Order: sequence, then C-alpha cells, then structure tokens
Amino acid sequence: MTDILTGLMQETISGVALGCIYALIALGFTLIYKATEVVNFSQGEIMMVGAYMHFFFLNQFVALTGGLNAWVFLLAFIGSVIFAVLFGIILDFIINRPLKGEPVFSIIMATISLAIILRSLTAMLAGPLSLIPISPFGDHTFILGGVVISILDISIIFSAIIMMSVFYYFFNYTKWGISMKATSADSEAAQLLGIPVNKVYRYVWIFASVVGVLSGIMLAPRMALIDTSMAFLGLKAFPAAILGGFGSIKGAIVGGIILGIIETVSLGTLSFYFPWIKEINDIIVWIVLIGVLMIRPDGLFGMAKVKRV
Amino acid sequence: MKKHLFRTLYASILLIGCGNQTPSPGVTDEEILIGNIQDLSGPIKELGLLIPAGSQMYFDYINEQGGVNGRKIRMITEDHGYNPQKSVTAAKKLIEKDQVFCLYNVIGTSPAEAIRPILEENGVPLIAPATNSSTMSDMSRKGAKYIFHTDAGYDLQTKVLINYILSKNPDAKIGFAYQDDDYGENALLGAAEAERMNGVTVQKESFQRGATDFVGQTSNFMKGGCTDVIIGGIVREPVTIMKTAQAMNYKPNFYGLGPTTDKRVGLLAGDAGEGFITAYWAFHPESNNSGPIFYRELCDKNNVPDKMRGLYHYYGFATAFVLVEGLKRAGKNLNRQRLIDALENFKNWDSGVLPPITYSRNDHAGVESVMLLQLQGGKQVEITDWID
Amino acid sequence: MKTRFEDEKLKWIPLLILLVFFFPFVLKSATFSYKYYLYVINLAGIYMILTVGLDILSGYTGLMSLGHAAFLALGAYFSAIMVDQLGLPFELSLILTPMLVGCFGFIIGFPALRVQGIYLGLTTMGFGFIVKRLIIVFNEWTGGSAGLSVSNAKLFGWTINSDWENYFIIYFFVIIAIIIGRKIVRSKLGRAFMSIRDSEQAAIASGINLAKYKMISFFISGSFAGLAGVLFAHTSNFISTDHFDILLSIYFIVMVMIGGIGSIYGAVLGTLFIVLMENLFIPLFEDGLSKFIHLETGDFQAFIFGLIMLIFIIFQPLGLYGMWLKMRIYWKIFPFNPRKRFT
Repeated sequence: MTDILTGLMQETISGVALGCIYALIALGFTLIYKATEVVNFSQGEIMMVGAYMHFFFLNQFVALTGGLNAWVFLLAFIGSVIFAVLFGIILDFIINRPLKGEPVFSIIMATISLAIILRSLTAMLAGPLSLIPISPFGDHTFILGGVVISILDISIIFSAIIMMSVFYYFFNYTKWGISMKATSADSEAAQLLGIPVNKVYRYVWIFASVVGVLSGIMLAPRMALIDTSMAFLGLKAFPAAILGGFGSIKGAIVGGIILGIIETVSLGTLSFYFPWIKEINDIIVWIVLIGVLMIRPDGLFGMAKVKRV
Repeated sequence: MKKHLFRTLYASILLIGCGNQTPSPGVTDEEILIGNIQDLSGPIKELGLLIPAGSQMYFDYINEQGGVNGRKIRMITEDHGYNPQKSVTAAKKLIEKDQVFCLYNVIGTSPAEAIRPILEENGVPLIAPATNSSTMSDMSRKGAKYIFHTDAGYDLQTKVLINYILSKNPDAKIGFAYQDDDYGENALLGAAEAERMNGVTVQKESFQRGATDFVGQTSNFMKGGCTDVIIGGIVREPVTIMKTAQAMNYKPNFYGLGPTTDKRVGLLAGDAGEGFITAYWAFHPESNNSGPIFYRELCDKNNVPDKMRGLYHYYGFATAFVLVEGLKRAGKNLNRQRLIDALENFKNWDSGVLPPITYSRNDHAGVESVMLLQLQGGKQVEITDWID
Repeated sequence: MKTRFEDEKLKWIPLLILLVFFFPFVLKSATFSYKYYLYVINLAGIYMILTVGLDILSGYTGLMSLGHAAFLALGAYFSAIMVDQLGLPFELSLILTPMLVGCFGFIIGFPALRVQGIYLGLTTMGFGFIVKRLIIVFNEWTGGSAGLSVSNAKLFGWTINSDWENYFIIYFFVIIAIIIGRKIVRSKLGRAFMSIRDSEQAAIASGINLAKYKMISFFISGSFAGLAGVLFAHTSNFISTDHFDILLSIYFIVMVMIGGIGSIYGAVLGTLFIVLMENLFIPLFEDGLSKFIHLETGDFQAFIFGLIMLIFIIFQPLGLYGMWLKMRIYWKIFPFNPRKRFT
C-alpha cells in the first residue's frame, strides 16, 4: 500500500512542478487576454525563445568568466529578463500597432503567424542541432519521507508561487493593475476614464513576454534536449488556461496545476491499474476540459462576459 | 537541365526496343542524379542535417576518384517534415520534375511507405530507406521489388535484446518502454516473438513521441519489479528514464534499441547510463574496425566538427557505400533495372562499414544481424559479435 | 466580420467549367513534368472542397473551427475502412462518408451551443487532438501511426489511378461543391447563418432557432470535409495520422482567411494560393536565393509562409477576393476614381 502511496506522492510532486510551468504559460495567455481579449497563440514560442536566449547568454558568460558558477547563472538570468522586456516591446509593436481596431479574430490569426515566424526563425538561426541544457542545480535531489524530490522541481514551484503572488498583488492592489483590469472589461470606458489603453497593451505584452521567457528558463533543464518542439508545449497549456477560465489569474494557476497532476498521475499510477488510460493520456486533459466547459462555459473561475447587443 | 533531358529522350528513342538497354532518366555521360527526402523542418530535423552530410562526404570522396564508371554522383535533398503527404509531393517532384535516377535514404517509416505507389508506377528504385522498420523489406507490399533495405529491423533488435537478457538471467523480469507510433509498433512485433519463443511476458509501457517526462513509466516498471528495462526511444528518452530511475534509487539493467546508441546518451546520462547496452545495426563509428577508421579519416580530412560526427552522420556515410557498390556493379550501361539486378546479386558483401549484406530476388532485407554495445566509462564497447 | 461579397455573377460558372476542363491539356503541352504540377493542383482541389465547407461554418456562421483537419481525417479513414475492409463499393462511400462525417460534425457542434467565440475555437482544437489520438487507438482498423494503404478510386468499374484521371474526378466535385456552397449561402439557410454571425441576440429576436442552424452549419462543413477526405484517401493511396495535425487545421483557416472570409470564391482562391505558394513559388524562390545564401530549406518555407500570412492580415484583411473586387470596382468606374488612395 505504501508503495502505491509513495509512487503517487512522487508523481504528484512532479506533476505539480510540471503544472507550475503550464500555469506560467497559462498566466501569459491570461494576462494578454485579460487586457486585450486576444488569445496569444505564440506564448509557447516565447517560452522557446526564452530558453534559447538563456542558453545563449549562459554560453556567453561562461566564455567570459571561464567557468560555471552562481554569477554566470545570475547574469544570464538578468540578461534573459532584459531581453524579455525588449522582446515584449517588439511584439507589441508588431501586433498591436498595425492591427489597431481590427477584429479580435484577425489579431489572433496574427499571433498564430507570429508563432510560425518565431519557430522557423529560431530554427534557422540556431541550426537544427538540439541544445543540451544546463541545470543550475545539477541533478540534486533530496528524500522526504521516502519520496524523491528534485531541487529543480522545488525551485520551479517556489518561483511560480512568488510570481503568482506578485501578479496577484499587482492586479488587485496597485493603480496600474486595476487600470489594466478595467481596460479588459471595457476598453472604451477605460479610455474615457483617462487610462492610456495603448500603454496598457504594451505593458501587458511585456509582462506576458517576461512570464514566457521565465517559463522557458525553468522548463529547459527539465528536458534532456532543447529544440524548437518546445513551443508545442504552449499548446498543452491552453487547457490549463481555459480550465481556469481565461482572464483569471487564480484560474491559470489552479488549471495548470490540476493539469500537470492529471498528466503525470494518469501516466503513472492510473495506467498501472487501468492500461487503457495510457493510450489516451495526451487527450485526457482535453476531454476533461471539454467536459468542464459544457458545465461551466466560462471555465472554473471565469467571469461571464456580458454580451452587448 | 533541359539539354540533358533532350539528350536522354533522344537516346531513348534511338534505343527503343532494346529492353534492358534503355537508359533511365537521371543518367547522363557525366553524372548520376540521386534523390533524397529528409526531415529538414520537423521533429527529427537534426537527422536531416547529419545523415545527408554523411552521404555527401562519401559521394565527394568517390567523385574525387573519378566517380562511378566515369560518372559523378549528384544528390538532391527534399524536405518532408515527417509528413507522409509532403513525402509524396517531394517524391513526385524528384521523379517527375527533376528526373532523378533513383531515390535514396528516404527517412521515416510512414513517409517511406507513402511513396510505394509512386515507386511502383515509375519503376524507381529506393536504396537504403532510413528507417529500422522491417516493413520496408516486406515483399508482399506494393513496390517492394524496388526497395532495398539496409537496416536490421526494430523487431529484430528487440528480439535479440530479450533473448540476450534471458540468456544471462533466465528469471529476469523484463520491461519495455516503447514509442507510441510506427517505431514502437515494429519493435513490439519483435517483443511478441521473443515472448512466444521464451514463454515470458514483458511489461510494456508506452510514451508519446517527443514526451519529456517519464516519472510515470519508470515508477510503473519499479512497481512491476522489472530487473531489466529495454528502452525503444532515441536520445531524450533513455537519458531521462535512466536519470529518473537513478533519482528514485531504482537500479535495473538498462538496454536500448539502435537509435539509442547515439553518443549523446552516454554524454547526457553520465553515471546513470553506465552499463547501458544497445543493439546496433552497424559498426560503431568510434570502434576500430576498418570501415569506422576510414570514416574518421575522411571526417578529419573534411574538417567535420566533432558535434556532427556520430551515429547519424555515419549512417549516411555507410549506406552510401551500398548505393555506390550497386551502381558500380550495374556497369557503364546504367539503367534502373540493371541497378536492381546488380543489388540482387549481393552475397555476404562485406563493406567494412556495415554487417555483411545479402540480397536476392525475394529478399531485400539486406542485413539481419545486430551487434551489442555497452557503455563503459562513457565509451561504447562491443560486447558481442554479429547476432541474428 | 461584417463584410459581404454580394457582387457575384452566375455566368461565371460555365466559363469556369470550360477552363477547368481544358487546363490539364494545356499543362501537358506546356511542360514535360506536367504530372507533378497536376498532382499539386489535385491536392489544392481536394482542400478546396474542405475550405468551402469551412468558410460556411466560420465565415458565414461565425463559428471558429481550429480542428478541421480532424474531419478530413475522419472522411479519409472512414472511406478507407469501408472500401478496403468492409468491401463497400467506392460509389457508395462517396455518398455515405460525407453523411457520416457530417454527423460527427453534429457531435462536435454540441459544445458550440454552450461555448462561445475563442472557447469554441479551442474546443474544436481539442477535438482535433482527440480524433487524431482515437485513430491511433483503433489501430487494428486504421493502421495506427504506421499509416494505411488505400486502394484506388473505382467508379462504375473504371479504376482511377493516375494524376490525370484524378484531376477530373476531383475537380468535378470541386465545381459541385462551389455550386452547392453558393446556393446555400444565398438561400434562407445562408441568411440565417449570417445573422447568427452578426448578432446572436438579433437572430434570436428574429425567430431563428440558434441550436438548429448552428448544428446544420456544422453538419454541412463536416460533410464537405468528409467528401474531401474520401477523395484524399483514394487519390493519395496512403494516409497516416502524421498529416492530420493542428498545423493542417491552421493552414485551412489561413486559406479561408487569405481568400477572404465570408466568400465561397475566396475560399477557393485562398486555397489555390496557399497550395501553389507552398509547393511551387517558395521552392522557386529558395532555388534563386540559395545562389546567394545557404539555407536550411524546411524552416525557411515555414518562415515565408508565416510572413506572408502576417502581411496579408495587416495589409489585406479582406483577402484575395476582396482585392479582386476592389480591382473590379476600380475598373468599372474608371476614369472617375476618386483621387485619394483607393482602399
């Protein structure tokens, strides 16, 4: 019995870590959707670009300092964040300026084309050979009550919690945050109230870019190789965002973690006892999602939008 | 290009009625045009860089020596992105538009299977499809008489590994992690045969192509009490599984199929990979057999960077030997039928780079043996000779 | 999406038919490798049938579908199984499969009744993944991820096995699809669809049964895609799940969009444009460019595709058909065009 329980605990923790990554990507979706009603299909690609840029910075700094130490990681981290901010500004420029006033559908298609461009551009610039990621914590693990936990996973969970709290505080207790929420609820009214909507859009894209890059930095060491297929993990985060209800930060976290756990546990313990679950593992999340949407069409925490006639 | 086209047309009009003498498209007095279809943009695009580079290295060497029967070899590579539909389009382009002489090294089971009707319709040979799936040498399928396979199938590899494990430990409890697609399906056939032969059951866990997390499968093997685990993956899968097991303090013996012989597995897995045994269908590029030694010489001469050398680069190089030998034996009056006849006369041909190859009218499998290698201290060491 | 393309004349159609009929002969005399080009055109034709249906669903009824490749897959696999394994005649499959896939459209349409806008798009995307996975699960019938060999189309005792013959069959159905498509959108059904797209509240107020019309729209687009699937399976002779992925679904939406959302002709034009671009223009462009720079082919193609898509979205949101109409109107009132830039 304890054997099953240990296995379950192990899978759950791994699932929570995985879920935090999904949650971060979902957070990126949610941020943009919250403010602009646009679903950013290129969030996964932003994550991929983040992973590649971080790798690039790491290599540069290692070459400069001649070794792998804490400073290198810190510098690379800072470098990546700065890059993320700039990247967000560029993305805002490409997406929001030319398409001001266009229907949301067009902007969504624009993000899809952006995703394709980013993926192929990265592949062309980085070359087809996969990259070998470097984990700042090595493979260290520690054992708690018979359950093996990797330090990397703990740091992922930790960082996710910090980020979520920061954003939660921001959106509910600061002037800018509340203005952003107002803009998403009704951009015309927000403008009337003197909220600079364009600035809001830009800030939101910068946030989403930072969140995306960070999720890329955290995901990379968890994978044995980095290549452009990382971007497709972005698609997996969709159910997380929808489950929680687009537009709700709480929802993104909860959705992401639930999905991460479902994915790991169904692949592990559940499929040990019910082998057919293994076969449909990758679509379990979508089935769950569609089920949830039928009952609550706006997601678990979603706020029903008032439709204007 | 047009000039060569008219020349060929003119020549074939002249020679109509001479049957076997009719020259095929893609052959001129100066060159032989070969068509290759790789994944240059999809999930295995790394291989699309490495494999044709290896082939090209050997072709360049041959061309420097004057070519084959006075003709230089030129290869065009198209992309299919691991999409069988695009593979069909690429094949049609190569055959009907570029007028290649034959196809070579088309990669991926489903992309290669998809073009069988085209091979049949146009009578175009396909040499060395780059896939370990034994369906390639299934003579009952369409176009089979045009396809010449050089790899030992995944099913053979799996069967050999299971037999090997049981020969060392008859009470072993075996687990098999397989990829949930055509790769895995073919490997499962071998597993099933081995199960029948030995009267055992193997615990099977599947994973998605491209999956990154294997906590579930690994803990399942542990729960199942497996003493030996075979991994039917490529690079990421064996590395992650072995590391995950290490973290869980689970220490079975690990084995892998052909593609896991990639040197990065040893590199990335570190000490978690010590003792990892793989079944490989050729001489290891770092071993001291004549073929690999020649390979390394050529790589040095061409300044091939270290990160490109390895399994896949070597694969392109080695299979090129087969194509060139076939072309040589087909003689100066080169046409497609003569190439097929020449290949079907290979009897235990020892190329030095691959195990001995035999083809006949009814058997296009080529190679039916594998060799086992073990990771010892980060390097791969041969531990057996060719096993059937 | 309030644009409407009303200026369509019916005398087009006979001219179109003649053009389509004589095209292969012209092509054959123009180039030695006509078979390859015909193959590309055939692919475009198959996709056209699907995109006409997709346009009815997304362009006219406003229901976004990001999983339409799944319908194509269903049509292909159903037909392959019915003809090759159950021994049904091809002619029967041509009729039965679209019906069957249309019914699947019903099933997938269910969530549409509850779920709105982008959520619907994501739900359909989910269905795309689910269908793809289910095809692999049932691999005794479908060959799983190894793929399935499919027999040739056999119409009334005559086996169709060359690109030349495929062309005529495919384009016969393309023309039928276009005619039916236009008939639908100009009928009461079409008006109901458009009213749902423009404003659901107003539609309800006008007495339109939302559920009924949404389901019908899904059924229609599903059956068009099903027909495309039958043709796809029996002319390619090999199908596998690798082809029917989310990227293909996105391609379909792009075809509809670039052609001009909300226009049957637009869907046709957009499809032709994208397929020709992918298979002819971009490779030509690459050949030319490779004399100057060394390129990794596959990704460059995707890059150009994404770039063109973005350019169209930014500069020509009305799509190719919109461009065509603007040109026509320009020439109609020439030389009385207003001095300003004509947008």
